[in-house]
Amino acid sequence: MLSSVAGGLAYFLPAAQLALDSTGQVIRVPTPSPTDLLTSPAPSQSPSSSPITGAFTVLLLGSDDDSKFIGDHVLTQSMILVRVVPSTKQVTMLSIPRDLYVPLSTGGFGKIDGAYSYGGAGAAIATVQQDFGVHINDYIWVGLLGLVKLIDAIGGIDVVTSHPVMDDYYPADIYSSWPYDYERVAVLGGPQHLDGLHAMQYVRSRHGDLQSDFGRSQRQQQVLMAIRQKATQLSPEDLPGLTKAIGGELKTSIGLSRVAALLPLAASFDNPDQIRQIILLPPYTHGDGPGGSIRANWGLILPLVHQYFP
Amino acid sequence: MISRFVLGAALALLMLVCGPLTFVYLGTKTSKISVPPAKPTSASPRAQALTLPGTLYLAQSGAIYSLAAGRFHQLTPEAGWTQPSLSSDGSSIIAVKQAALYSDVYVLNRFGTVVRKVTSNAAPPRLAYDTGQNHWSFYPRLSADGKTLWMAYDKPKFDYDVVLSIWAMPFGGTITQGKLWTNAADYTGGDVQPVPVSGGVIYTKYDYGPDEKLVGRLWFTNRAYAPGKALTTPGEDCRNPAVSPDGTQIAMICTYEKQLSYLTVASWNGSTLGARKNIITNQLVAQPTWAPDGSGIAYLAPGVAAGPFQLWWLPRAAYAPVPTPAPTPTPGGPHNGPLPSPSAAPAVVIRPIQMTTNNGFDATSPPAWRG
Repeated sequence: MLSSVAGGLAYFLPAAQLALDSTGQVIRVPTPSPTDLLTSPAPSQSPSSSPITGAFTVLLLGSDDDSKFIGDHVLTQSMILVRVVPSTKQVTMLSIPRDLYVPLSTGGFGKIDGAYSYGGAGAAIATVQQDFGVHINDYIWVGLLGLVKLIDAIGGIDVVTSHPVMDDYYPADIYSSWPYDYERVAVLGGPQHLDGLHAMQYVRSRHGDLQSDFGRSQRQQQVLMAIRQKATQLSPEDLPGLTKAIGGELKTSIGLSRVAALLPLAASFDNPDQIRQIILLPPYTHGDGPGGSIRANWGLILPLVHQYFP
Repeated sequence: MISRFVLGAALALLMLVCGPLTFVYLGTKTSKISVPPAKPTSASPRAQALTLPGTLYLAQSGAIYSLAAGRFHQLTPEAGWTQPSLSSDGSSIIAVKQAALYSDVYVLNRFGTVVRKVTSNAAPPRLAYDTGQNHWSFYPRLSADGKTLWMAYDKPKFDYDVVLSIWAMPFGGTITQGKLWTNAADYTGGDVQPVPVSGGVIYTKYDYGPDEKLVGRLWFTNRAYAPGKALTTPGEDCRNPAVSPDGTQIAMICTYEKQLSYLTVASWNGSTLGARKNIITNQLVAQPTWAPDGSGIAYLAPGVAAGPFQLWWLPRAAYAPVPTPAPTPTPGGPHNGPLPSPSAAPAVVIRPIQMTTNNGFDATSPPAWRG
């Protein structure tokens, strides 16, 4: 019996090691900050893996993390607030425009995608909390290569791409030795199975979209839902291979026990109509901010956020 | 009585075996969702039960395969080959070979050997530093007389605004002799998948709908650079047109702006589409292709939820118009009261047949079918 346990441990050890490294991240909020995440007991800190019944909010962060950036000082190209209500099986996704000009939790004003680069996940969370008036329970950060690896590790995803995504000047910064290089992208339109690389091209390209970052946000939400759908087929025995594939490209404040509790919850959300997608298009935002940023119409945004992220 | 030594050795052996066995056993319990698709040639489709007529050409992982008499044959290496179509006599395959920065149209013989390259879309060496100097050609189709090549081609383009437009060029000529046929909407991806028909061309135009979402619509135009006529509404969000062998019906994929798709068939009178009939609903489905003998429609769809696309077959009986049953005659002559209801014919549900199970066909590549 001991030998069997040892065999099982050997099987899950790589996953456990990597999971311990990348999950349950302690959030350090830079001062001055209007919020105090460290003192507020987050559900993720609970050691229990009992079923999750209460509503919770997660901030998804996606970053360029190529060699153009130093260490963890990356911009978050994608910021999506996700509210999950297990009792009603409802999910709300709100994409925060990366160029939104806001007061940062670390002081001063700037584009919201810079919050992470100034103070990591804590600063990004604190900025979103103070500006949008929401409480965030957890965060998940994934780098570009992590997204590619994650989608490949689950065998690709099925997406109805809304249109052909054409880009003659797409950044070739993932596999190129020169991170300022360009490549061409053509992801054709319609229902199809995307591997990690093409899924990343689909969600990252914005040159060929009249709605620029807003169009990209819609595509990111499509891909997120496709990943969720595929993840429902995962079994616990897939975790070692998955964590090995993703490597250090994913960080989260969600503890291991909570991840285990979330897997069956994700599988139970089987009605796409119960997933609400919100993009802050004009008139919620308008594009005359400094340095190419966009300004928020808080008078419209805050009531919307309070309605769906109470 | 077993000696202590034997017992100890047996237990040690058991321990040595149990650990690795547990490790291996757990490995077998994975979901297998990341198993890569098998090459079509490595496993036969369900052809023992059903053999599709003629020869079907499909693309997977950058290679073109033929399916004839229940067996797949690999015609090209895995080198960016996709979107095969056929010359009208079926003797040649017109296909796209996609490289990292550009794609070109080639003519292949029916065994997959390159006969000639039709386009030259790579940037000239002196301009190779600018990725924007390259071009894409997609969805090549030959006209019925074999003289004109239709395709989606990314010219004109304006810096970041790269859109595909429908072009027609002499099949024996060059793109400089080609003619721009459509005016693609800016920042939409453009116009794709031309299907030459009698009197014009049907194609898919991507554009912004009234709700400012990007949607696909089928259009028909009979003059170069003329606005043409929309065949479907923005709300239907349709693409992948395929004309039936007799030219009276069009199959297409409509999504109604959702992450689901419907295989829809409508009658076609040469200028307008008739009433829609959704024959596959609420799942992902792509690239309907009519059998040349009219016996059914092949299409691509996942074999399992969220999986790679497989080949499916829908017999004609599943979508052909059902004759309206006549009222049952009343015995005994004229009847003053209301007519009795017609007797309902027993309903026969015709289900699609999954032809392959572990492949991963390119769902952006319309299959071609030779009779």
